Amino acid sequence: MDVISTSGLTKYYGKARGVEDLTMAVPQGAVYGFLGPNGAGKTTTIRCLLGMLKPTAGSSSVLGERVTLDGAALRRRIGYVAGEVRLYEKETGRWHLDYVAGFRGTKGPLTAESLERFDLDPSRRVKELSKGNKQKLALILGMVHDSELLILDEPTSGLDPLNQEAVYSVIEERVAAGRTVFLSSHVLSEVERVCDKVGIIRSGRLVAEEGVKSLLGKRLREVEVTFADPVAASLLGELPGVDSVVAVSDQSLAARARRRDRRRAQADRKTEGQRYPHPARKPGGRVPGVLPR
Amino acid sequence: MSWTLLRGTLHQNRVSIFWFSFGLVLYSWMMTWFYPEIGGNQYAELVETMPAELMAIFGGTEVSFASLGGYFQTEYLGLMWMVIVASALIIYSAKAFAGEIAEGTMEFVLSQPVSRARLAITRIAVMVGYSLALAAGSLVPIMVFGSKYDIDLPLDTFWTLFAFGLLFMLAVGGFALMLSVIFRGAGKPGAISAGVLVVLWIADLVSNFSEAAELFDPINIVSYWQPSKIINGDPVDAAAWWLYGGVALVSAVAAVVVFRRRDAA
Repeated sequence: MDVISTSGLTKYYGKARGVEDLTMAVPQGAVYGFLGPNGAGKTTTIRCLLGMLKPTAGSSSVLGERVTLDGAALRRRIGYVAGEVRLYEKETGRWHLDYVAGFRGTKGPLTAESLERFDLDPSRRVKELSKGNKQKLALILGMVHDSELLILDEPTSGLDPLNQEAVYSVIEERVAAGRTVFLSSHVLSEVERVCDKVGIIRSGRLVAEEGVKSLLGKRLREVEVTFADPVAASLLGELPGVDSVVAVSDQSLAARARRRDRRRAQADRKTEGQRYPHPARKPGGRVPGVLPR
Repeated sequence: MSWTLLRGTLHQNRVSIFWFSFGLVLYSWMMTWFYPEIGGNQYAELVETMPAELMAIFGGTEVSFASLGGYFQTEYLGLMWMVIVASALIIYSAKAFAGEIAEGTMEFVLSQPVSRARLAITRIAVMVGYSLALAAGSLVPIMVFGSKYDIDLPLDTFWTLFAFGLLFMLAVGGFALMLSVIFRGAGKPGAISAGVLVVLWIADLVSNFSEAAELFDPINIVSYWQPSKIINGDPVDAAAWWLYGGVALVSAVAAVVVFRRRDAA
């Protein structure tokens, strides 16, 4: 079953484009990365999925239920961490935890564990917290109730590397327990780290949706190769995976290439920094491989 | 209605609810205490030396200043009381929806399992509770301390004044809430609500001297607010009850309907 599915989801703010004709599917038990630059429409999509925004056209369903503006019962099954943390500044973290517990009818089973894991003092007022601590509080509020679906909008924003790892660990634990995670981010390394499937959004449109491995395989890398002797740019141009080649100098060529499989890349890395003689002088006349910059 | 939201909203507004209500208690007590010092014919003679236009500003043209009602309307329950309670309720109402949407806290609340209808009804319920607290703070001290200062306010007069004042506040607060669900940011609903009240007040003022301004009279909630007549034992115009109640009810219903359909983030 698809936990999230959209069909032609479109949202305009007056004449300004939010998202346009978005059709995607998030399978159960997956970590779906929603990747895109700033202003691409990631947050708009999430707000439509949560029933905070009324779509201009199209529809969406979450956990088997059609999304409406009044879906209180549906939101009981969702944990949400907003991209911009906006909480009640004069209230404490503890107050917020009790507030959320009141709505959900129960104290979050993972509250104590989460507070310890993220090392957050809940007695402090929100206005006294740093950006990172506010983000931690928002994460805890979104994750303590062990929801079927976690929707995380740039969850590691403002966090130090240790806490980022804590977030990734939580995601991995939840998925291992059968939950689904929808992760919005503009950081490719984050998506690479935890996601199974990626949807790339740009200018409000979904431009690609595929597995992470497949996507990474299409990623272009820039490499510069220096030879012992002057070479022609056409030397690298015919290699598989090379998109373009530019002569940097008589002996150096800069190429844009697609990433090869990991084992081959590791083998190539061993020869990084070495200078190769002109291929005409090497037995077989083959260039041994591109070296990452 | 959501009890969690009710408790939460009351908690967030506890400071303003307390200080506005307590301020009215002090003001009410002070006016009650002050009446024997200047009330009666001496006061009437003093006030009648002032320009009629000035007295009209404080709502004192329709009754004799020698009366208890005239004193309280001129010194307390006329202009100053309207300014205080309108400020309290407009500030609350403007923030209840528009303010929270602009601040982003509405997104936090709506990410929880609470329906928009429940949220809207709960915010209205808090506004009603706030109005009750303000009404009690405004009038109970007169009853409690009145006997000590030669003020005898009959119980039925008290309840009529309480109910009428409460409806006035619900009309003002309800109108502000209705604007709050339309806009993003507390500034516009607050400014428009206050602006409408000012226009109605000016129209009421001018209508004392000009028949043209009486055009607004049938819908002017400020004109109908005549606590002096109630205190002096006169009945309240039925049209006033209908106007206040109608504005309060229609505004509340409109607020719920509109909030259920708008973008809230």
